Amino acid sequence: MAAVPRQISRRRRILTENLTAYAFLFPAGLLIFLFGIFPVAFAFFVSLHRWRRFPDEYVGLANYERALGDFAYALFFYAGAAAIAAGLYLARRVLRGARPWNETAAAVLAGAANTAAILLFTRWFFTLLPVILNIPVRLRGQERVQGLFVSELFASFRFPEVMSAWFPSLAAVLAAVVVSYGAVRLARRDETIGRRLWLATGAGLLLALGALALNLTLEAIGAAAEAAQAEGAELPIWSQIVVISLGMAAVVAAYQVWTRAARRWGDRQLVVSLAAAALLLVGGYALVTEVPRLLAAADRNMMSGFSVTIMYAAGAVPFQLMIGLGLAYLLFQKIRGTTAFRMVFFLPYIMPFVATSMVFSLLFSHRQDSLANHLIGAFGIPPQKWLLEPTGIFQLIFGPQIPSWLAGPGLALVVIIIYTVWTYSGYATVVFLAGLGNISGELYEAARIDGASGWQIFRNITLPLLSPTTFFLMLVATIGTFQAFTQIWMMRTPAAARAVDNMSIYIFERITDASPNYGYGSALAFVLFFVILILTVTQNRIAGRRVFYG
Amino acid sequence: MADAVRRLDAVRSSPRRARPFPWRTVLTYGVLLLGAVVALGPFLWMLSASFMRASEIAAGRLLPEQLQINNYPEAWRLANLQQFMWNSVRITAITVGGELLFCIPAAYAFARMRFFGRSVLFGIMLSTMMIPAIATLIPNYLTVVWFSRLSESICGEACKWLDNWPSLTIPFMASAFSIFLLRQFFAQIPQELWEAARIDGAGHLRFLWSVVLPLSRAPVMTVAMFGFIGSWNALMWPLLVVQSDTWRPIAYGLQKFTQADAPNELHLQMAAAVLMIVPMLILYFFTQRQFTEGITSTGLKG
Repeated sequence: MAAVPRQISRRRRILTENLTAYAFLFPAGLLIFLFGIFPVAFAFFVSLHRWRRFPDEYVGLANYERALGDFAYALFFYAGAAAIAAGLYLARRVLRGARPWNETAAAVLAGAANTAAILLFTRWFFTLLPVILNIPVRLRGQERVQGLFVSELFASFRFPEVMSAWFPSLAAVLAAVVVSYGAVRLARRDETIGRRLWLATGAGLLLALGALALNLTLEAIGAAAEAAQAEGAELPIWSQIVVISLGMAAVVAAYQVWTRAARRWGDRQLVVSLAAAALLLVGGYALVTEVPRLLAAADRNMMSGFSVTIMYAAGAVPFQLMIGLGLAYLLFQKIRGTTAFRMVFFLPYIMPFVATSMVFSLLFSHRQDSLANHLIGAFGIPPQKWLLEPTGIFQLIFGPQIPSWLAGPGLALVVIIIYTVWTYSGYATVVFLAGLGNISGELYEAARIDGASGWQIFRNITLPLLSPTTFFLMLVATIGTFQAFTQIWMMRTPAAARAVDNMSIYIFERITDASPNYGYGSALAFVLFFVILILTVTQNRIAGRRVFYG
Repeated sequence: MADAVRRLDAVRSSPRRARPFPWRTVLTYGVLLLGAVVALGPFLWMLSASFMRASEIAAGRLLPEQLQINNYPEAWRLANLQQFMWNSVRITAITVGGELLFCIPAAYAFARMRFFGRSVLFGIMLSTMMIPAIATLIPNYLTVVWFSRLSESICGEACKWLDNWPSLTIPFMASAFSIFLLRQFFAQIPQELWEAARIDGAGHLRFLWSVVLPLSRAPVMTVAMFGFIGSWNALMWPLLVVQSDTWRPIAYGLQKFTQADAPNELHLQMAAAVLMIVPMLILYFFTQRQFTEGITSTGLKG
């Protein structure tokens, strides 16, 4: 008899704990959702519309086509395929393991119900959203009365298209709650049931997202093919996608074969390496010939912004890491004043970019007498125009006969790269120093007893054990340079704007110029986001194997 | 091994030999000093240039011929620095206050409470750190514009978000990074303390207030500092949502001063830049250890 009240009180305690936790989470969770998670879906929604100040008609992938040309189709095709693959992978994890069939079926059913509920609710929300956002348009010309906006907001919920989306979503949410509760009850002895429900829901969402992306692609390709046919031209998008897929598959296979070859010895290794090289050649050729054709109709300015972004990262990140590692290694020797040095090296990183960029734009001023020109003058180099100079650095060094695709970053961008290395090296130093501190001293001692030289110790102990830090810094620095804004905004000059405007600046200009285009800006931002995501995942995959987590 | 033995022999055979010149040490200090000079150089030159005439800066002088102390009051007045500094102080205070108010309970819930969906919600929250600011810029701007209209309609002109403090502070009051940082620390507080507190009849809120917070001064300071740096340096978002001087933060004010108002007054620009970094310098020198340790323990900047 005594067991029953105890159980009730335990249940009540768990309920209170849950409610308290949600109350604690609510304010921060709401803000993070509103300004951190929801904007991703919102940006995608905006990018599918003609959208100047206010939402206009649905245009499918037109904004992406404008940015990327035919490459937009390939991009969405692969994104959809990847989402479906990930969804299937999650689904397999739900089904794996020997469990009573009815529990598995309940988990699958609950996952499907949750997915349907989330999708229908999202559909309702995104039907409502443009109606709400258009309130100012509907109120245009009316007198500004206090509370008018609010009453119009309430009226928005009763728009016919909003109402017709509301009832299915409500029903689906209720059904999902019931089915999920049933599934949890059914398998209450299985402790992993909560996890499996989340997995099933995630799998369903990914599959639905993938289907959505593929559907968008097919729709857009169909429209484009029709337009092409009307002009009597042919649209070889599918064959191009096949060729690119084969090319990518060949490159990935080459990477796989090569990593395997590295573990073998002798003749086998030679044969396998040759095979890898052949695959790489074939794949690379397919990509190099096909991708530019797809990009032929892409936005020139966007492409230039993209190449600036890449050159900026490629120029800044390696130097940051090398200088950081060097300084950290020296500081780690038993020397006096480590703290003081660390403090000084760190200074450029935390000082406001606006202020330090102003100093650099005066140091590297285009004037004959600027300090940078004094400095290079000491080496007998003629004065340069620095931040006003868009010409590629290699063209400046080796003369104008260098082809334009080998010209490298413009001198103005080089100055910004120097600035970036100056600011971030100290940060890398501090993080590397912490990484060095984590390596156990016994290893060094053992190596020294074995008679290893300083370089050998560095090469065989320090570097491998530091690899998680290096990897982390590489990731953070790449992502950071990909979104750089302040320093470029401060140091750009009209003369060299094309040479230094990266994607962030280009996107920002699209939404702040005289006729802002939010739809196009969102499409660009989404493409950049996608690239950063792919970069992160790839770096994770590649470095995941090479990084040694001692 | 053989090498070491040979070296040992050499030492034995000439016990009184003078110590060789410490090349390694000299080289180490040399490189480190060079690094320090490069890191500090631009700051020193900025300070020096802030006392020059504009023509001296243009001529690439290293030191001023005569200290132009007047640059400072003139820059302070012309660049409207008093207003911008005060704006930034207000913005920073509101942002950091809100951040602490919202992030501490959330971090506590993730660290010390058991609730349905904890790990999934935590994972979702962490994944938002991967989303670049530029990807959320446009939708957030649209959201803020809409909220501005809404609150303006409810309580009049004074409540609008755009060109006012809410648009500059509210979106930054909850940061996944701060929650993560605090959670890592809260999770390390021994469970025995909680058990003792519970026996004494304390609930979560009371335990958080009188046990966890007093123990967590360091991470809370770190979070506050990151908030300070973030809102003192922010440029892109204010460029979008601020139009008038009443709430223009210092970074935007300085940008406007150098690029629009006084593009040729190089000496005043330098003086204004020095004034902008002074509060940051003061904060850095007093909390230097916390600063570097906060960054090295989490490896991230806000």
